[in-house]
Amino acid sequence: MSYGTYFWVWAGLIILTGTTVSLAGMQLGRWAIVLPLLIAGTKSGLILSYFMHLRSEKLLIFKVIIPLVMAVFLVFILLTFSDVAFRLGGAK
Amino acid sequence: MDEHKDYTGSKLGMWLFLLSEILLFGGLFILYSMYRYKHPVDFHLAAWELSRPLGTLNTLILLTSSLTMAFSIASLRRGDYRISKLFIIATIFLGFLFLGIKTIEWGAKIEHGIYPNSPRLLGRSKGEILFFGLYYSMTGLHALHILVGLLVLSIMFFLMIRGRINKDHCVPLENSGLYWHLVDIVWIFLFPLFYLIT
Repeated sequence: MSYGTYFWVWAGLIILTGTTVSLAGMQLGRWAIVLPLLIAGTKSGLILSYFMHLRSEKLLIFKVIIPLVMAVFLVFILLTFSDVAFRLGGAK
Repeated sequence: MDEHKDYTGSKLGMWLFLLSEILLFGGLFILYSMYRYKHPVDFHLAAWELSRPLGTLNTLILLTSSLTMAFSIASLRRGDYRISKLFIIATIFLGFLFLGIKTIEWGAKIEHGIYPNSPRLLGRSKGEILFFGLYYSMTGLHALHILVGLLVLSIMFFLMIRGRINKDHCVPLENSGLYWHLVDIVWIFLFPLFYLIT
C-alpha cells in the first residue's frame, strides 16, 4: 500500500475523531451512546483494513478472523446482559 | 543452511494473540456497560470530571503514531532503511508523549484525592467509585500495553540497526505494527466510553 493511501486513511481517522468530539457536546438522547460507538467502529474498521492490511490479505482465515472474534464477543455480551437483566426480577 | 521462515505462520500466530487481547479488553468493556446500566446518573456525573481536551489530544497522538508505524513498515519493504528507522523513532516518541499526557492526567486526579481506595473517593456514591475504578484499571491496562509496545519497538529498532530486519525479512516489524495498531483500536473505544459519553 502506498504512503498516499495511509495518509488519507489517517486524515479520515482525524476527521472522525473531530466529528465524535463535536457530537459529544450536543443533546442527542439515546443516540449519544450509539453514535460515538458507531464512529469508533468505523475508525477500527479503517485501521483493520488499511493499517493492518486485512483488506489485501488473500487467505480466507484472515478474512474471517475479525467476524469470528466479534461473534464470540457478542455471545459474551448477550449472556451477561441476559443474566443482569433477569437478576432480582429484572429492571434495576 | 537456510533458516526456516514461515511468514504466514508467524502472522497468523500474531493475530491469534491479538484476538485474545480483544477478548481481554472486551470483558472489561462488558463490565463497564453493566455498571453503567446500573448506575447511569453516577457515571454521567463522574464522566464530566475527566479532561476531554487531554483525552482528545491523546487520541490524535495515538492515531498519528499508527500512521508513522504504517509508514515505517512501508519504507522497510521498499528497502529505505534510514526512513524506516526515522519513522520508528517517531512512533516511539509519540508513544512516550501519550504516556506523558496520561501521567499528567492521572496526576491531576490523584492530586484531587481521586484514586482507588482514597478516602475522598470512598465518600462518594457507589457508581462514581465504580466509574473511577474502571477508569484507572482500563486506562492503566491500556497504558501498560503502550509501555510493552514501546519496548518491542525499541527492540525492533536495534534489530534494524544490526540489519537483522530487512526488506526480505520484515515480519517482526509487521507483527509489532499489528500489535501497535490493536492498542490504538482499544484506545479508540476507551476514549468515547470515558471522555465523550456523559
